[in-house]
Amino acid sequence: MAAIRSASWRRTAGDPALLGAVVGVWVLLLLFVLFPMAHLLERAFVDDGRFTLAPLLESLADPSHRAAFVNSLVLATSVGVCGTALGFLFALTAARGGLGRHWLTFLDAAALLPLVSPPFTTSISIIFSFGPKGFITHDLLGLANASVYGFWSTALAETLTYFPIAYLTLRPILAAIDPNLEEMALSLGGSRWRTFRTVTLPLAVPGFANSFLLLFAASLADFATPLILAGNSFPVLPTQAYLQITGLFDFKGGAVLSLILLVPAAAVFLLQRYWVGRRTYVTVTGKVGQRSRTRAIAPWVVALLTGACVAVAAVIAYFYALLLVASLVVAFGANNSFTLHHYHVIFTEGLPAIRDTLIIAAIGMPLGGLYGVLVGYLIARRDFPGKQAMEIVAMINYALPGTIVGIAYLIAFNDPPVALTGGALVIVACYVFRYSPTGIRAAVAQLQQIDRSIEEASASLGAGVGQTFRRVTLPLIAPAFFAGLGVVFIRSMTAISATIFLVSINWMLITVRILENMTELALGPAAAFSVFVIVVVFVVVAGLSLVLARLRAPAAGGAARSFLGG
Amino acid sequence: MKVLKAALLLLAGCMAGAAAARAADPINVYTIWPENYARPMFQEFEKQTGIKVNFLRFSSGEALARVIAEKNNPRIDVLFGGPVETFAAGIKEGIFAPYKSPSFDKLPARFKQADGLWMAIADDPLVFMTNGAFLKANKLQPPASWDDLLNPAYKNGLQMADARTSGTAVTRIFSVLEVNGRDEDKAFAYLKKLRQNVQVYTKSGGGGTLPVGLGQAAGGIFFIVDALETKAKGYDVVISFPKEGIGTSAEAIALIKGAKNPEAGKKLIDFATGAAMQSKLAEYKVNFVPANPDVKTDASLAEVLKGAKIFPIDDDYAGANRKRIIERWVKEVLPAQ
Repeated sequence: MAAIRSASWRRTAGDPALLGAVVGVWVLLLLFVLFPMAHLLERAFVDDGRFTLAPLLESLADPSHRAAFVNSLVLATSVGVCGTALGFLFALTAARGGLGRHWLTFLDAAALLPLVSPPFTTSISIIFSFGPKGFITHDLLGLANASVYGFWSTALAETLTYFPIAYLTLRPILAAIDPNLEEMALSLGGSRWRTFRTVTLPLAVPGFANSFLLLFAASLADFATPLILAGNSFPVLPTQAYLQITGLFDFKGGAVLSLILLVPAAAVFLLQRYWVGRRTYVTVTGKVGQRSRTRAIAPWVVALLTGACVAVAAVIAYFYALLLVASLVVAFGANNSFTLHHYHVIFTEGLPAIRDTLIIAAIGMPLGGLYGVLVGYLIARRDFPGKQAMEIVAMINYALPGTIVGIAYLIAFNDPPVALTGGALVIVACYVFRYSPTGIRAAVAQLQQIDRSIEEASASLGAGVGQTFRRVTLPLIAPAFFAGLGVVFIRSMTAISATIFLVSINWMLITVRILENMTELALGPAAAFSVFVIVVVFVVVAGLSLVLARLRAPAAGGAARSFLGG
Repeated sequence: MKVLKAALLLLAGCMAGAAAARAADPINVYTIWPENYARPMFQEFEKQTGIKVNFLRFSSGEALARVIAEKNNPRIDVLFGGPVETFAAGIKEGIFAPYKSPSFDKLPARFKQADGLWMAIADDPLVFMTNGAFLKANKLQPPASWDDLLNPAYKNGLQMADARTSGTAVTRIFSVLEVNGRDEDKAFAYLKKLRQNVQVYTKSGGGGTLPVGLGQAAGGIFFIVDALETKAKGYDVVISFPKEGIGTSAEAIALIKGAKNPEAGKKLIDFATGAAMQSKLAEYKVNFVPANPDVKTDASLAEVLKGAKIFPIDDDYAGANRKRIIERWVKEVLPAQ
């Protein structure tokens, strides 16, 4: 063991590029993940200069906190399972349905909508639809006094909001499974169902694991949705932590509650490593022949899958139609005459927020994409000491509730030596280190499917490590890069929980304005801002798709048509 | 690695450029008043003094959490608006500097902290607000007593604020205590009964106004400023007062300890606590009741308040019992469904 370890040290030290990259990533993680975390731990466990566990024990003894803990786990598991299932439905239809281009664009668009919408939009639409006076519960079904608050609506809203992450994770993996493998299974006499069960599904396992992990963590950390929809009978931890801090002014209690959240997040992460780590999933071997059009799924199944996707898409479209209407009427529900006034407001009073948000997103996007691919590559392909620690540390900010990350950043970066609050850098850093884990996971999952022999071939032909990375590995993980880049951009446009504590008088964000508008009962401007955000994200994403399609031209075929699916 | 370095350089470049382009501005403020109330006031201040106000809006809890976190390196000069109890909690954290504006001596005792750690800029009574269409459909009169809200017709229909996050809720709970002669058990028995009709407790005090306006909820208890704003937006809502009386809460302002620009901050406090600002409230349809005795309540607002029995919440009593009462509310009332 010692010998292996010292060999790993020597190899790392002897490779300046690797050493540089590892040290660079660690410096960043130290500064933007561990340093704020240390401040947070200090707040939670140090009282008058002495270490104490009293606040932790106090929190655990409180039955309402214990209930919140259990509720959080139930919710996160449900969202993880349902979201992965829904994402798989979309991914399978897109990758294996043999659908035309327009259908694929439609699926992408439908899946993208919830992902690119600012917080609260799904929640608000659900209340308008399923509340006591909801369009569906009251006007259509004639139910009086329907109760919308609680587990079901929260789970529904989070599933619809986060399933695109599953779609983004699963689609490249399904697309990368060589259809010839399925062809072989079929021509060897396997039925379609058997082929699906024994070939396609097992190959998608790393994708399932990743997707479940990402959704579980996203739900565990989400506070905006439960804040609006969970009501008072279904408390969850992130909301409790937020209320503890902003309501009872009890920072210590809030910090403790959110640290408790780290336990299930870490557990799922380790489970996922153990589960996925024992299998190999190489299907891109460099030996792929002519790709045949797949026959792996029967036409009637394709029709069924497409029908199911269209149904889900219709629900999503309906939710967002409500939003569009709200942005175009004087006062939604009271005065439904048409007006463009709300758009005038956001482009005059709201202009600074729009400008700041776009600047921050534009800076964060490339940094997040690069960081995600770099860390993903290091974890999946290189051998160096402390690799597992790096992988875990890189996930921390993603797993913690945003409120906590935001406050930890605020405390850590307010005072010298690293006084960053009030600037844009602290917001950019928050986005990059909080949302790049999606890119990291995508890169790792992608690389696990690519046989090392391709890189080894490049190396044995005389290419250096850097050249191999650039010429061979990078193109192969480009979809993961663009997925990571896209997620950071989208989140920079839409996230709120952490950054509400980091916006400053000089740097304002659209999402914070939306929340502000909703507090002011200005539903119109809030909806107009949301529509604007969605349009911008769609335009940027479409632009990225075009660039990617140009870059990778015909060779990548259908997979490159959309940056999302890669 | 090269990529990484380039990225860092690019980042550093962007930051440097950004910092240079955004020079420090005259006065920085966190406002707890919603922006549509605060903005016209700050514009008036700028017109009168030439000092520009840079501001950011937060709910009271968020604003306080931020000011506390920024304590060692304050980013603002003044905390503007928000219920007095937020300021009382801030005093315990030592985040304010004392300042007595020229209006200090004129203000009644409940509108100022004795050392000048905060002063009131407005008063904000609670009201009952119900959806007009709901009342008609159920053939109900607007609620005129606390007990009217216990009517089963409101079952699962009321929205009001959560005591953990909202000053509105705290004022409401102390109102119930007052009308029950501060008999806590009697008050909590009522609150538990009221719980049966509550659909959801919202994060912010005004959170339920839009649902009531839209008919998603039947009614609730809100600050008058939010209720009148809902009405002004065109929603069909009715405002009423309980005959037993209902509480009111002062809105305050304070100078931040370690403020970078205390002189301009003091000017803003002079402006906000005096007639200079409070006489403008009505002009911009901001329906707070002026705290300064020199300023007369606007006629239309006075009309709404006519005949209403409104009492101030006793600061000493509320301050001494706030934490315990909220904890009891969280433990007993919240789960009582």
